[in-house]
Amino acid sequence: MSGNRERWIARGLAAVALTLGLLAPLAGSPYRANHAAIDVPALARTVAREEDHVTALELAQWIKDRRAGLRVLDVRSPEEYERYHLPTAEHLALDSLTIVPFHADDTLVLYSEGGAHAAQAWVLLRALGYRNVYFLRGGLYEWLEQVMNPTLADTTAAGRDAFARAATLSRYFGGVPRSDIRTPPADESIALPGATRATSVVPLPTRTTSTRLDAIRRRGC
Amino acid sequence: MISASLRASPRPYANPYVAGVALGLVLLTAFVVMGRGLGASGAFASSAAGVVSAAAPEAARANPYFARYLGGDGPWLDWLLIEIVGVGIGGFLSALVAHRLHLDIERGPRLSRNARLLTAFGGGAVMGLGAVLARGCTSGQALTGGALLSVGSWLFVAGAFGAAYLVAPLLRRLWT
Amino acid sequence: MTAPYFELGYFGTRGALVAALVIGIAFGWCLESAGMGSARKLAGQFYLTDLTVFKVMFSAVVTAMLGLFWLGRIGVLDISRVYVPETYLVPQLVGGLLFGVGFALGGLCPGTSCVAAATGRLDGVALVFGMWCGVLGTGLLFPALARFYERTPRGVLTLPQVAHVPYGVAVFLVVLAALVGFMSAERIEARPRIGA
Repeated sequence: MSGNRERWIARGLAAVALTLGLLAPLAGSPYRANHAAIDVPALARTVAREEDHVTALELAQWIKDRRAGLRVLDVRSPEEYERYHLPTAEHLALDSLTIVPFHADDTLVLYSEGGAHAAQAWVLLRALGYRNVYFLRGGLYEWLEQVMNPTLADTTAAGRDAFARAATLSRYFGGVPRSDIRTPPADESIALPGATRATSVVPLPTRTTSTRLDAIRRRGC
Repeated sequence: MISASLRASPRPYANPYVAGVALGLVLLTAFVVMGRGLGASGAFASSAAGVVSAAAPEAARANPYFARYLGGDGPWLDWLLIEIVGVGIGGFLSALVAHRLHLDIERGPRLSRNARLLTAFGGGAVMGLGAVLARGCTSGQALTGGALLSVGSWLFVAGAFGAAYLVAPLLRRLWT
Repeated sequence: MTAPYFELGYFGTRGALVAALVIGIAFGWCLESAGMGSARKLAGQFYLTDLTVFKVMFSAVVTAMLGLFWLGRIGVLDISRVYVPETYLVPQLVGGLLFGVGFALGGLCPGTSCVAAATGRLDGVALVFGMWCGVLGTGLLFPALARFYERTPRGVLTLPQVAHVPYGVAVFLVVLAALVGFMSAERIEARPRIGA
């Protein structure tokens, strides 16, 4: 390799490389996650318009319809995920969120036990740039109550219709709809599918006629 | 056009640094467009898987190494296999333009043609084994893994160059 | 629009294969233009007479490495989505050693052998065939090798991680090593040689 011109080209390339190399240690991290932007007004609007979450019944319908690009993400611990997770759900470890392998257009639905961790993960994934992110506001409890054991509480025509739809979805997922509204026993608890009372791995909230999920004391998120 | 290329005298090789930077930009393009780097030995693996699968489908599926190439669109539409076809085409075109196309057996001055073909075959076979164990070759590990600063890839490069320098003195007859 | 485009779903399998072909053609062209389709030239690396292999490869690595870092830093490329091969310490080192022996024997590597074969070099054809048989044979014997193959897994492991330095510092050190290496290579090649 001879020739003045070649030497100058090589020197030029070396100069560019050296410059870019010298600036590298001063530039910070090259990972996008370390420079993610939280667009506060935009996210706040989404939250206010309640477009950040889905109900368990909506999620159940999406799963049943095999909605394109749907990814159901469990943000609890790996052990909890192993013991039980929603149908088609994948585990998303919150401590390794730099590597998030989803397509930009995927529909991501996050859930946790009660919903708080999932809501936090919602903010993080929106910050990373994903647009179609939702979370299950009531978490696993909401799924168990609305999908696995829907109860007929409202005897109006509309209420009965809603219950009928919920019951169909419920049976699809192996749940047990309950249309007996006369006297729900005071210490009725929602059974985890496939678990007996003794082996139910989630100490489940007991139901009363006026149970609301947000009155339930949370163990974890 | 090819005969004209064959008759003309060969053009000089490109500046290695320029060619290297160009190659680096091709690699970078692969990262940006595909989210993956280049490779070569993977193409050999998928085509081998394809042949074994054609001859003995059950055995191929039962072999954990070949089975992974049999999913998706199949071994013959493997990304690396298409890429390596491109490599051949690109090499051919470059040689055509530079008048470097000719049938030949490149060998050291002291080596016979047949011996050269044998050592080429043998060297290739050993590299095949090495590439399987290392999950790649100079393209997939040294270039791609090297640019990604992967520890295993740099270990591969150290091993490969180290071993080559160590055995080269014993193989002088092949090249000098 | 952030890259990697395929990973983020901007085009499908057919587009990916078109990209494979185009990228491959560019790859092959660069290799041949530098003379990497010539076994004698490549072998010169190991006798310190022709260090083209080192110059081309290390230039390529540095270029792509800087590209990854800076495109990542400015947000054009999401480098966490780029596939990094997993590290298996012992198999990759041993595989490298074997590969080096084969390389010194054959004078071409898998990629360059395809270039050589495509430009009429029959030794390249022989090497391609040998390589293919080697991969086939190893694959057939894989059950026996599986335990060794899976030894010492470390997942995705990068130099900045093991050296406990920021990514940018590792980049700088590699650039430095490359420039020192190139200057040394120029000096080695310029040495007067008695015989060859």
